[in-house]
Amino acid sequence: MPQFTSGRVLRDALRGQAGRITGSALLSTGHQAGEAMVPVVIGLVVDRAVGTGSSSELLAWLAVLGAVFVTLSFSFRFGARLGERAAEQAGHLLRVRLTDRVLDAHGGADTGRLPGTLASVATSDAGRVGMVALALPLGIAGILGLVVGAVALLRVSLPLGLLVLLGTPLMMGLAHLLGRPLQRRSEVEQDRIAHTAGLAADMVGGLRVLKGIGAERAAAERYRLSSRAALTATVHAARAKSWHDGTLLAVNGLFLAIVALVGGRLAADGDISVGALIAAVGMAQYLIGPLSMLVWVNGELAQGRGSAVRIAEVLSSPPAVGGGAPLPGPVTGRLTVRGLTHGGLRDLDLDVPAGQLVGVVAADPAHAEALVDLLGREREPDSGAITLDGHDLSTLDPEAVRGALLVAAHDADLFEGTLRDNVLSPAADALPLPQQRTGDTTAPPSPTSSPEQPPTAASNTSPAAELLATALAASGADEVAATLPGGVDGVLAERGRSLSGGQRQRVALARALAADAPVLVLHEPTTAVDAVTELRIVHGVRRLREGRTTIVITTSPALLAAADTVHFVADGALTASGTHEQLVREHTGYRTTVLA
Amino acid sequence: MTEQRELLPIATGRQTVAALRALLRPRRWLAAAGLLVLTAATGIGLAVAPLLGHVVDLVTTGAPASAITTPVVALAVVAVLSGAATAWGLTLIARLGEGALAELRERFLNRALRLPLGQVERAGSGDLTSRAGNDLNAVASVVRSGLPELARSLLAIFLTLAGLAVLDWRFMAAALLAAPVQLYTVWWYGGRALPLYARQRVAVGAQQQQLLETIGGAPTVRALRRREQHLGLVTGRSQDAVDLTMRGVNLVTRFYARLNLAEFIGLSAVLATGFLLVRSGEVSIGAATAAALYFHNLFTPVNIALGLIDDVQSATAALVRIVGVADLPEPAAPPAPRTPADASLHADAVSHSYTADRPVLHEVTIAVPAGQRVALVGASGAGKSTLAGLVAGVHEPTSGSIRVGGVGIGDLDPAGRRAVALITQEVYVFAGTLAEDLRLARPDATDDELTAALEQVGAAEWAAALPEGLTTVVGEGGHRLTAAQAQQLALARLVLADPAVAVLDEATAEAGSAGARVLEASVVAALRGRTGLLVAHRLTQAALADRVVVLDEGRIVESGSHDELRETPDGRYAELWRAWSGRRDADRTA
Repeated sequence: MPQFTSGRVLRDALRGQAGRITGSALLSTGHQAGEAMVPVVIGLVVDRAVGTGSSSELLAWLAVLGAVFVTLSFSFRFGARLGERAAEQAGHLLRVRLTDRVLDAHGGADTGRLPGTLASVATSDAGRVGMVALALPLGIAGILGLVVGAVALLRVSLPLGLLVLLGTPLMMGLAHLLGRPLQRRSEVEQDRIAHTAGLAADMVGGLRVLKGIGAERAAAERYRLSSRAALTATVHAARAKSWHDGTLLAVNGLFLAIVALVGGRLAADGDISVGALIAAVGMAQYLIGPLSMLVWVNGELAQGRGSAVRIAEVLSSPPAVGGGAPLPGPVTGRLTVRGLTHGGLRDLDLDVPAGQLVGVVAADPAHAEALVDLLGREREPDSGAITLDGHDLSTLDPEAVRGALLVAAHDADLFEGTLRDNVLSPAADALPLPQQRTGDTTAPPSPTSSPEQPPTAASNTSPAAELLATALAASGADEVAATLPGGVDGVLAERGRSLSGGQRQRVALARALAADAPVLVLHEPTTAVDAVTELRIVHGVRRLREGRTTIVITTSPALLAAADTVHFVADGALTASGTHEQLVREHTGYRTTVLA
Repeated sequence: MTEQRELLPIATGRQTVAALRALLRPRRWLAAAGLLVLTAATGIGLAVAPLLGHVVDLVTTGAPASAITTPVVALAVVAVLSGAATAWGLTLIARLGEGALAELRERFLNRALRLPLGQVERAGSGDLTSRAGNDLNAVASVVRSGLPELARSLLAIFLTLAGLAVLDWRFMAAALLAAPVQLYTVWWYGGRALPLYARQRVAVGAQQQQLLETIGGAPTVRALRRREQHLGLVTGRSQDAVDLTMRGVNLVTRFYARLNLAEFIGLSAVLATGFLLVRSGEVSIGAATAAALYFHNLFTPVNIALGLIDDVQSATAALVRIVGVADLPEPAAPPAPRTPADASLHADAVSHSYTADRPVLHEVTIAVPAGQRVALVGASGAGKSTLAGLVAGVHEPTSGSIRVGGVGIGDLDPAGRRAVALITQEVYVFAGTLAEDLRLARPDATDDELTAALEQVGAAEWAAALPEGLTTVVGEGGHRLTAAQAQQLALARLVLADPAVAVLDEATAEAGSAGARVLEASVVAALRGRTGLLVAHRLTQAALADRVVVLDEGRIVESGSHDELRETPDGRYAELWRAWSGRRDADRTA
């Protein structure tokens, strides 16, 4: 994987939006200049028109005011749009790039990172780096706005100009200092408030559980106490913020008084005009705008840099597995494991002949998971090798391996979408025509070809539909389809949460079967399924996978009883092999693991 | 289950106003004081423009430089006073808003927790959750930041107009020339912004969810080689969110462009008025200056107030959904609550259907003597979970009766100790410490009792190994428990709640086989001394029960002890057991 620095992430993001950023900077400068000109023009109107009573001057200066408004309005409108577009688009491109890295066949980006953390990098952090594309032009405009204001003021009066230019940042710094302890206190209170905000949703989320044990009253009381504590905290926080705001207001007012004092005395002495005095007062107010904007820009840049660091880390994650050689086909499905050591497995040897249904029982579930990770090319083994048809998996392109050897993990996720889209891969529509599959007598006569069978699955005879129906029937997911409004076109909620655990498991199994891989590894596929359905699944899988290699890593007796051979792994090494019946009879450790 | 969606109620305008009144009534003095202080603060602040105008007048009338000092001192006093009064007023307003908000959220949650589960399920799980989450937050954020801003801005606007009128009524008239444009802009914007922002929130939520799904499911996506598909989904949803955000930006910038026009109209009118009034000698140049500065100072509060309108609108939309639940009438209590005589459980000829045309249970009769355990076995859809839910009182049976210790489920004293508890395969860990989670079941339990309950279900070891023991923060954002640990926690809660009858609906299903074995021991321990009804998906569980009931398509097809049923020739249970225990005569189809 290429190495990324935070600097490169930022540079790339900004370079991609260079045109928009430049445009936005120019227009935002126009806007700032316009805002700065408004008090100046007000001063000029008073000076040249109101003071003199000249109608033509009035009309002329009002026309100037109109021109200023047109400039500031249009430049704001289009400058803001360009800047926002630059920010949004830069964030979007980073988001897509991060997702692409996470999904890379060699993995590694999601190693040791929680999905929530990664998702937040792809949303908040990508957004923050994007925001730099908005902050940058505004920062440029802010600085130019200050310069314009400064030039205008200094031309009016050198001492007054210097007072305003030096005094405004000084005043803001003072207000910030005065407000800081209050601000800090309010941040501490924020925690309590956030806690209560989450608590209501948390309790409602667990409503079923609360009601199950009759804990509604206790929960309501707990919430009331938390809500009261949050109330005290929010009132404290609000008081702190109110005094902060009040202080800011007072300091600002005092500064204005000083400007009025100095400007007034200069005007009274005839050093400057009345219009200049008004302009200076207006400018003292205006400068707060670009200055606080620069403070904001500075904060955004700092956050953007921090976010760029996190993004660079994800993009530079070392791959979890290597290999890139193509897998020579066709795959017969002979799998061997030699001296495999990883995550508790110690020198594990296994032989899986092509076309057999093999059960693997691990006394320790962690060892089963280690094996599943290795077979799925999620990790490289510490030592030893897995070979498929004699090719070491570690040397092969992981994408090609997964095409030939599909690992259906126990915790595999379903996705939001129709049942059909979950089960069939997007490539399923490109399947060969039906006549090429007519020898397919392995498809079981669907035991539920009752009127309950959704018509969409039965009436459509495309190869994809046939594959779907077969996989659904073999996994017992046809019953899931029957309970869904819309059958196979019924929509599952995100991560399949609208289904029960047992239903999800069956749909995931159907998906694994529908992939039609030469070698299929199933990890605990029936833990959440009732005994009746499990038995049906055992028969279905056995029939559907006839003649193709299938490895079931499980402790379920019903599944193991259907296997041609069962391997028992204890203490990380192969301990016994035989049929389920033999092992149950002869091996105490096996019996304890499977039947206890 | 294909039931009809039936959303929870939404309050009418009148109900919402009544609810707001009820919240404000006990706080009316606070409200009055807050408004008074803020008005005073704004009023004091308005002295700034005329004082500056006075400085201008002094200069134009050729007063000596020293004369400037007096208005400047006044300016300083005004600054300090208006700062202090603003701070005080905002504090009062915050106490008012936060107090009312706290009462509202407590009333909402108290009522929400006592909604019948059936009603919550008919509404879809998202309905109540989004009210407790998004809607409460939307209202809170407007009360917290919007309300004080709005109050200040509106006061500033009204008092500035008044100030203009004091200078000369014609200044106010001139300023009001901007109002038609502003009102039109708000009307124009409001109609477009709300639906657009609603769509934008949905799109951003969809993007977030897609990212979580794709990234959380990355191993699955890789295994199934669906990278292209998911990259396409993420790109599409992200681009949708970007496009809608940009439409929002376009709308906002057009909104401000219209307000700019209003600013120009008003400012020109005020300046022209000043010009005419000064020329006719009716006001001083200082007054004209003050009027112009007044109007210039209005730009910000007007923008804030108008910009807040859509926040207030969406908060109102959230409020009606909260009040809709909070104001639901209390459920009727049983007229003559009774206490069960013992821990026996009887279901007599219970039938149930969720929708009229699809009965799920037909005349099921089960009697469980006190202290015994009955296991329900059957395929999905056989009605096991429905029966469990009926016994636990989640739904009311369509016909037939369910009694605990001789008392009908509906006649049990709702205030008394829970007679029947239900634990499902849905594991949930409440955010907070482990002790807090457990005390939901028995609020007055001592630490020793909590530890004892954990010990009883075999969870004491891992609980003690947690970084901070019982005070470890678990659940959302805290220490993550495994599915098996979470379910043991549920069983420990059951022990603490100590019901006479426990209904366990596949309570070991989510833990995987290895975890299931540990959990089965926990279940046995938790059920000690209780009457138990277990929906079993592992037959080892059934084997441990006093009696096994096999359900098929809503009817009892077999019933007896594990040993009896196992030996029944051609029995359904016997077939299952054969497959399960790996006997060779299980019909292999190889």
